[in-house]
Amino acid sequence: MEAAAAMDHHDQHESTGIDHRKLGMWVFLSSEFLFFGALITNYLLYQGQPGFARPYPAEIYDIPFTSFSSFALLMSSLTMVLAHNALARRDQHATRTWLLATAMLGSVFLGGQVFEFTEFISVSGMKLTTNPAASAFYLLTGFHGFHVLLGVLMLLTLYGISRRQGELSEASGLNLELVGLYWHFVDIIWIVIFTVVYLLASAPVGVG
Amino acid sequence: MTTTAERRPTTTIFRRPRSTTGFWSWITTADHKKIGIMYGYAAFIFFLVGGIEALLLRIQLSAADSTFLTAAEYNAAFTMHGTTMVFLFVMPISAAFINYLLPLMIGARDVAFPRMNALSWWIFLFGGIFLYSVLIFSDPAAPAGVEGVPGNLDPADNTILGGMPDGGWFGYQPNAGPFYSPGTAMDFWALGVQFLGLASLISSVNFIVTIFNMRALGMRLLRMPVFVWMSLVVALLLLFSLPIIAIALFMVTFDRQFGSLFFVAEAGGDPILWQHLFWLFGHPEVYILILPAMGIVSEVLPVFSRKPLFGYAAVVIAGAAIAFMGFGVWAHHMFSSGISPVAQAAFALSTMTIAVPTGVKIFNWMGTMWGGRLRFTTSMLFAIGFVAMFVIGGLSGVTHAVVPSDWQQTDTYYIVAHFHYVLFGGAVFGIFSGLYYWFPKITGRLLSERLGKINFWTLFAGFNLTFAPMHWLGLQGMVRRTAYYPPEAGFDFWNLVATVGAFIIAAGVLVFMYNWWRSKKHGEPSGIDPWDARTVEWTIPNPTPEYNFGVSPTITSLDDFWHKKYSSDSEGRPVRRPEAEETLEDLMETGINPPHPIHLPAPSYYPILFAAGIPLVGWGIIFHTSLVGKLLILVGVLVVASAAFGWSMEPLEEPHEEHDEDHSDQPSGSGYSSYGSDA
Amino acid sequence: MATHPGEHHHPSPLQYVKIAILLAVLTVIEVALFYVNEAADMRGWDAPLLIFLAVLKFVIVVGWYMHLRFESSTLSKFFTAGFILAIILYAVMLLTFGVIALGS
Repeated sequence: MEAAAAMDHHDQHESTGIDHRKLGMWVFLSSEFLFFGALITNYLLYQGQPGFARPYPAEIYDIPFTSFSSFALLMSSLTMVLAHNALARRDQHATRTWLLATAMLGSVFLGGQVFEFTEFISVSGMKLTTNPAASAFYLLTGFHGFHVLLGVLMLLTLYGISRRQGELSEASGLNLELVGLYWHFVDIIWIVIFTVVYLLASAPVGVG
Repeated sequence: MTTTAERRPTTTIFRRPRSTTGFWSWITTADHKKIGIMYGYAAFIFFLVGGIEALLLRIQLSAADSTFLTAAEYNAAFTMHGTTMVFLFVMPISAAFINYLLPLMIGARDVAFPRMNALSWWIFLFGGIFLYSVLIFSDPAAPAGVEGVPGNLDPADNTILGGMPDGGWFGYQPNAGPFYSPGTAMDFWALGVQFLGLASLISSVNFIVTIFNMRALGMRLLRMPVFVWMSLVVALLLLFSLPIIAIALFMVTFDRQFGSLFFVAEAGGDPILWQHLFWLFGHPEVYILILPAMGIVSEVLPVFSRKPLFGYAAVVIAGAAIAFMGFGVWAHHMFSSGISPVAQAAFALSTMTIAVPTGVKIFNWMGTMWGGRLRFTTSMLFAIGFVAMFVIGGLSGVTHAVVPSDWQQTDTYYIVAHFHYVLFGGAVFGIFSGLYYWFPKITGRLLSERLGKINFWTLFAGFNLTFAPMHWLGLQGMVRRTAYYPPEAGFDFWNLVATVGAFIIAAGVLVFMYNWWRSKKHGEPSGIDPWDARTVEWTIPNPTPEYNFGVSPTITSLDDFWHKKYSSDSEGRPVRRPEAEETLEDLMETGINPPHPIHLPAPSYYPILFAAGIPLVGWGIIFHTSLVGKLLILVGVLVVASAAFGWSMEPLEEPHEEHDEDHSDQPSGSGYSSYGSDA
Repeated sequence: MATHPGEHHHPSPLQYVKIAILLAVLTVIEVALFYVNEAADMRGWDAPLLIFLAVLKFVIVVGWYMHLRFESSTLSKFFTAGFILAIILYAVMLLTFGVIALGS
């Protein structure tokens, strides 16, 4: 990146004063609301409609278990921000530690989701093909889980780069700050999903 | 822009590509101009494909009870005509214009993320190829994962043409779902459109950051050319509307491939949900199609009227208002689907209101021409044609806003007439105007005006002959999307006229192609400023040098270039400055011989590699029940992952040694690129 | 959201931990509310409370962990625009389906 820094910087500059990649990431995240919004809307439309084949998602949620995995994801935001903070202090060792911790908490969440899906399918008998509410539930949480998976992979890549090169430069292509923004975003989406989909779940009257 | 070879400490999969000319330079380029040109040619080829499909439709409809096409072939042809023209022609050719012109118009050397720009382009190209690969891979058997689907097509309909997607460009559910559209054709459609959307989404982020961050000194937001403004608005529309269709298409793919029940009415799924999601995207989409053309026309009209754009701020604000309101009118596509009366009233009102900012623009364009010294170049003719045809299309659009009237018009040729007046008479005329206007930027030559006039008048006549009769056919009750009409309906004559018109359009397009092909080599050299233009992309030599600007411009006003050439007399008339010729010569000189070294984003293999993995995943999903399908998914994911990994390790530019500037004061931690960036 | 003009000092690790404790407490309250509502019907009061708590957590993570409080307003404008647009569009859609209703 030194090469790029050698450009004519009187000519080319960021008109807003914000780094391109950071602006790009926030712009992208603003569009992610529309992705998740559509999925949540599907779920809200179908979750309470009477007459579907049972079970409805709301009948089989395991709130203590999901609370636990949600909590793991929430705390991963703390470790993520600590990793970023450590990098700002040029403490490469602490950066690596917190990166790994974040990836592990993310994996705990993912493992929880795999367990939850398996339970729902094999024990409670709610498959993707059971009813539209189940379809909506799996697509929403699966799409979120896919985001978490991508995040974990990026975190592990950052960790690998850091191990290999001895340091992470903020200017490197895969930037810790950007991965952090993405990671926190995935977390706040889950904050919404946990409340709207799980805690406020409602099956149709007479079913749940 | 040559870079010094040096061993880099980071992991790589490929050595950095080095060619700057020839085949590999196009494959690996990160140059917005090359990418724009490739977008343009690819889009034009798809335009021809979509045009051939349209001609097939018109031949079928030229007479009552025609047997030229089977019903299945007709369905496939109109589906692919619409899909192609929207997603594979108008959108990418707008992307071509934006790619090529946006950095030039804001005085930048490239977009914010040059390699992501290349990625968008390759995903688009592979997405288009994926969509049309249905011709090879179409499988009339039931889609995987859905049991007990009997299929409803006559095996005799399984021709190659009839094997293409046939659920309409809108893919209404449950018609396009697993039960009523068995086989794999609609899976190609759903995934293909998904990939094209992904390409556009990446572009939109790129363009937004470029416009926000890469403007030349002094290029304030309200000094940006209207085309740049419209590009920004389009990028915002894409950013916020594509996610909606992406989710909807995921749902379709899951329904068809994995047996989910989103739109399966028997299991409680709601087909109206699809309509909402589709049109939540689909209505902003029509503004995505038209706004770039509006931007083009807003550049062309002032130049050939020798007047500033009348009410610049009003045009900009109207554009932004259209974008904002464009999100609030989607249900007018669904008036006949049983939405509540309150919703109908609300959406009728919002639809009528959106005509206001559109009308503002029309008046601004007319005000621009009013009292100007008009030069009727081909570009100008197309721009005027745009305004006239768009008014007709806009007014017939307002008639659909009236709910009872819409109930009569829904699914008739009146609707077809309406949207072709806005999309062909509007968007396509605007695009042709732009092609004639900016051709010298790409080639350094002018398109032939003589052929251009023939081109315009044949297109104009053919267009009106084709689509004007559809208004009255529609009001007489001729329904869309139907391969046959009975002789006693009395539709024959005007249908024949429309078919003749369609072939005249085809002739006009051929004239254009000949003109392009000939003028590229033998056209009149354009010089630096062939049109006496107003905006900064004309302050650099034609064809555009690889580095765009020898010296980055400093902008002091709206229409900056014009004011460098002209002052005004006491009555406000433009007076050419005595030093104007000298200014042009200086610009030519610094444009050809930049005083300082300029470093450009280096080419890269990773964008095309990344994009190449995506259709593999697509084919894999469609054939996921077989081992080959599973392997394809695996290979595709590995390709994408390795490309992403290699990409994240590859700096935007090669490190280079000599430079006239000491930059040791750049802390390595915060040394963000002042040029493009690395994402 | 208040912005501190022209400064860039982000919270310290200790402050981050305090924020995390706050988030944890809010989550405990959320889950507790869920069970309170199970045991004794809260007559619809659980929904606004839970949504309020979720919004609070959302704002805390965005504002502090994502540093949006300390960033240029361009970023928050974009982010808010996407969020609000999504809420409005999908709310109108659910209204037309009658899943949510005005004045009931």
